[in-house]
Amino acid sequence: MPEDLGKIRKRKGMSMNQLASRSGISIATLVEYERGAQRIPPSDLNRLAKALYVEEWDISPHSSPPPPPRQERPTKPPRPPQPEKKPPQEADGTDRSGRRHPKEKKPQPKSPPARDTQIAHLLTLAARFGVDRAALEAEIGKSLDELTQKEARTWNGRYMRRVAEEQPAKQAIDRKRAYLPEGVDGFELAYLQAQQEASAPLHFALFDGQTFEGTVVGFSPYQITIRDSSGDEITLNKLAIAYYRKVAGAGGGGAGGEG
Amino acid sequence: MSLGDELRYLRAFHGGGNLQEIEEAIGLTIGTLRYMEQRYRRVGEDDDALAKIAAYYGVPLDRLQYHRERYRKALSAVLHQAMESGDRTRFELRTGETVAGRVRWWDLGAFGLEPDDPDDDGPLTVVQRHAVVNWEGAGGEST
Repeated sequence: MPEDLGKIRKRKGMSMNQLASRSGISIATLVEYERGAQRIPPSDLNRLAKALYVEEWDISPHSSPPPPPRQERPTKPPRPPQPEKKPPQEADGTDRSGRRHPKEKKPQPKSPPARDTQIAHLLTLAARFGVDRAALEAEIGKSLDELTQKEARTWNGRYMRRVAEEQPAKQAIDRKRAYLPEGVDGFELAYLQAQQEASAPLHFALFDGQTFEGTVVGFSPYQITIRDSSGDEITLNKLAIAYYRKVAGAGGGGAGGEG
Repeated sequence: MSLGDELRYLRAFHGGGNLQEIEEAIGLTIGTLRYMEQRYRRVGEDDDALAKIAAYYGVPLDRLQYHRERYRKALSAVLHQAMESGDRTRFELRTGETVAGRVRWWDLGAFGLEPDDPDDDGPLTVVQRHAVVNWEGAGGEST
């Protein structure tokens, strides 16, 4: 009994691409055949039979259309958030596992008496405002010996805030970085800047014995560009320079060259 | 000139090879040569390593040892002292010349030498630090 093309192809473990290449029929056409949208002509039926190693009459010329896609079940609206279920409690306040669930907060235990250090700190802070022990006790409304730790903490906090509010703001620390000339190259660059602005002719002596003269037209930490008397610009690599100075006659003799 | 400057000079003179390749060729731990070239403090205490480098560049070992004594920090100290005291200082350059004068300023790459005579309003000589081979008091000697 003839079968649909798609069923045979799948049974043979062949992909659409493989069948297309083996039969010489385009994938688009094969899709049409498999969907039943187009009847398979006898010429293609023969090619497909050869490609699938079946007889022509094994392939149904008109495949049955595929079943319609399943309609998805309508989604339910999301449930509103449920209040967290509390485990059922027994009459004695425990749940079924025996754990106790406190129904009410226990009353806080009374704060222990203030530590000596708290009192001493409070007295020190109060003294900064000229408040002695008697005045402090009058302000608090009880003897310092009766203060609890919590109360002492509160009063220390009050005085600390008062100190912070009434003290003059700290001056920004004027930090100066250590002066390390070996970490900067500002002096030479400033010198070159001055010579460039003055258009002073400089004489450059290079490692290899060459010399150049010209006015500075630009410089960087690594190079100096000069314009010589003919108007040509020459860029000298500072690594190649041994020293330079103003041209003699343009400002004096300079440091002594003895070599 | 410091050992680092001398090594950079030698590397440039020999084609400017890659540091790591040279280290591998010499048989040094990777980073040794880079460390020597870049540090400002005294480096190159390992004479065996220094001998390998000297052999690679074809220079005598004592040449590298000479530069080892003239590390950059030592030159900085001399320049600082000379500027503070206002004393005349002499510097030998790689070009074979010697320059002398009072240090007016110094920085990372160069220093300015002004004429010896305070009355001489002559120009400043700007000397590149890497050009200085030797100076007064270097290596515990007075040149």
